[in-house]
Amino acid sequence: MSAGSRIQIMKEVGPPAEVIERFNVREMTGTHAIGHTRMATESAVTTSGSHPFSTGADLCLVHNGSLSNHNSLRRTLRREGIHFETENDSEVAAGYITSRLNRGDALKEALERSLDDLDGFFTFAVGTGDGFAVLRDRIACKPAVMAETEDYVAMASEYRSLVSLPGIAEAKIWEPEPATVYSWSLADAS
Amino acid sequence: MYNSTKPGMRESATFDRNVIHEIQRAAETGIYDIRGWGAKRSLPSFDDLVFLGASMSRYPLEGYREKCATDVVLGDRFASEPLHLKIPITIAGMSFGALSAQAKEALGRGATLMGTSTTTGDGGMTSEERMHSQMLVYQVLPSRYGFNPDDLRRADAIEVVLGQGAKPGGGGMLLGRKISDRVAEMRTLPKGIDQRSACRHPDWTGPDDLAIKIRELREVTDWKKPIYVKVGASRTYYDTALAVKSGADVIVVDGMQGGTGATQEVFIEHVGIPTLPALRQAVEALEELGMHRKVQLIISGGIRSGADVAKALAMGADAVSIGTAALIALGCNHPKWQADYAKLGTAAGFFDDYQDGTDPAGISTQDEALASRLDPVEGGRLLANYLRVLTLETQTLARACGKSHVHHLEPEDLVALTIEAAAMAKVPLAGTNWIPGSNASM
Amino acid sequence: MHREIRTWDLSAADVRALNQSLHDLKPGMEDTHWRILSPEGAHAIACGLMVPVTVEIDGHVGYYCAGMNKDATVIIYGNAGVGVAENLMSGMVHVQGNASQSAGASGHGGLLVIDGDASARCGISMKGISIVVKGSVGHMSAFMAQAGDLVVCGDAGEALGDSIYEARIFVRGKVQDLGADCIEMELPADEREELAALLERAESSARPEDFRRYGSARELYNFHIDHAGKY
Repeated sequence: MSAGSRIQIMKEVGPPAEVIERFNVREMTGTHAIGHTRMATESAVTTSGSHPFSTGADLCLVHNGSLSNHNSLRRTLRREGIHFETENDSEVAAGYITSRLNRGDALKEALERSLDDLDGFFTFAVGTGDGFAVLRDRIACKPAVMAETEDYVAMASEYRSLVSLPGIAEAKIWEPEPATVYSWSLADAS
Repeated sequence: MYNSTKPGMRESATFDRNVIHEIQRAAETGIYDIRGWGAKRSLPSFDDLVFLGASMSRYPLEGYREKCATDVVLGDRFASEPLHLKIPITIAGMSFGALSAQAKEALGRGATLMGTSTTTGDGGMTSEERMHSQMLVYQVLPSRYGFNPDDLRRADAIEVVLGQGAKPGGGGMLLGRKISDRVAEMRTLPKGIDQRSACRHPDWTGPDDLAIKIRELREVTDWKKPIYVKVGASRTYYDTALAVKSGADVIVVDGMQGGTGATQEVFIEHVGIPTLPALRQAVEALEELGMHRKVQLIISGGIRSGADVAKALAMGADAVSIGTAALIALGCNHPKWQADYAKLGTAAGFFDDYQDGTDPAGISTQDEALASRLDPVEGGRLLANYLRVLTLETQTLARACGKSHVHHLEPEDLVALTIEAAAMAKVPLAGTNWIPGSNASM
Repeated sequence: MHREIRTWDLSAADVRALNQSLHDLKPGMEDTHWRILSPEGAHAIACGLMVPVTVEIDGHVGYYCAGMNKDATVIIYGNAGVGVAENLMSGMVHVQGNASQSAGASGHGGLLVIDGDASARCGISMKGISIVVKGSVGHMSAFMAQAGDLVVCGDAGEALGDSIYEARIFVRGKVQDLGADCIEMELPADEREELAALLERAESSARPEDFRRYGSARELYNFHIDHAGKY
């Protein structure tokens, strides 16, 4: 389900515990990972409708929220040649990022532009080949929480999702501001 | 349409007298038109469906002697104390503030006489309603006016309101004339102001966070009370599925004919879908999730007679809710107040200016003199009578279809008289096998 | 008075059982002091309390901690998720870490103290609660605030007090900008004294004279076409 060399995308319909078993996630190693459990708002519950959506080579996006202009955007992006498999609003966000990247925007610029071009409520986490980025819309009703230690930076919709991370009790916990792109890459860390 | 007998006088269908009046009113006042009631225009509705009564292939039940049961249980998915109603008709949420205290009491009395529930509104719980309503559903609205855990604990069920049929996506509205001392105190607002209401809840947005909020409400009430989720009819198929996934016990869907105490005219008439297609969508979503009858469905928005009730149940609702009809039963728009309506520039049958608080029937007002025109005991009797008639009518139709319980009515008992209704309700056009939009042929 | 502390470890027994035990307390019963371990971001911990019990929580809590409480004192040694002390009726809630969105939402009374920062919508729809934030608050704080006091020792984000009714806002740091109908006003002596009392209850050493007072211009109380742009 992914394109590129560094990111592998796995999706399935079912409870998270079962999906983790199915793909043997426990045996995996890597530098970063994004997980998402979807509550379908305006399209069917299907594997292809699940997040993350691949936005291009070594890029993927997960979304919490609901976009209100995704139908018009999908039509515009289709005319540009972006291919969509579902009626899912989040797939449109991914397609939009791809479209901006195709036009030469860096990821940060593409995400900043999305604040004006995408309408609705969203928290995005975008995975890149060597890191990830987080963005919340201007109104920021949908939640997002960050946890940082010496060893890692983590992001989730709820703190509860982070509790089993090592050292979480001493981690710096904070919330990203609305309309601000945050990004982390392994290149920065070294 | 006015057809003058004078040749050459022709009214425009686009700019008719109502439209002209509204444009000139807007020009003079600079404010949108606000009124009560739901969508007034003609819409595809239950009137476009009829029952296939018994004949050679189906046998009817005798009236009176052969039982046709009407009881319904609401909220047994998770709550330890679900509601047991004697009739499948409940009273919808209407605020104290929009209505007088006497009206709220009358609704409680009438509902209790018939073994059903009433619902608080966007202003909190009054002692009159709690005292006189044997089963009281407590609303949790975006404004949270008057909301408190003591009332939550003494309610019989809880209704989380996302919206109502008259204005899906809009918040409550109450104008200064109706913000009396008592209303102001209950809502923690200055007296006499025009209330601005939130359209989203303050502490959650979206079904994923609603699921967590529902858990909190259950925790505060020790999982005893059923939790309803109410939506105005819009994207009803998805809303129903999401309400189920958020953990609701009961879903309440209110079509665009659903009334309001005060809303912009353009919102009432141009946002939301009619009750008929909303009901079908909700039932479809429930059936696809395998939750039909497990998460109960209450439908409201223009329910008027036992025929409407029976048709709603046949399409898959567990119960219906009435708002406007209940107020009419109490005396709203009664011809006996004709002289007063005339003074307001209107007439019985046309009055919808609930927002002004000048209701001659004393129902949608805070004015003490007007409100005293409604005797709550008498009002309770009137409502109980009306509910009784609704129930008897429903049973009559159900028996004619051979049903011993009103919940045994099913969509196949119905046919449609118009193509729109057939498409919206997904029942065949009478005398044919045709359901427009459906690929299956029967 | 018997002051033994009742300990409850949430890794061993769930929130439902905890809340039921807290709800079963009657005034005058002896179990007046509880300590909750391993909250691990769980939701609705110690909500709907009705008696003057003290509940200390060792760690971070999820959404709606201490929601709809009366008379109780809840102390969170960590961060709080969305809606901490929402609809608080009376009593006190003390968050030693940071609070997420909608802290004190729709609160009717009592005192909410946040030692760290509060996120967006702090005090949204407040109806009488007193909130003291020793750090900063995020955007849309005191949105549609009807009554009560919001005290911010740090800074306030965008659109502070948008659509405010009669609530009072006191800010010591910078205000990014003000919401519709919210204006800066004089801080009279009697209010300065009330502010001092609040700061003292919150155990803050901030000085009342360093605060600016914000409140409603009351121009949106009755609809007037000239103000239509503010809606």
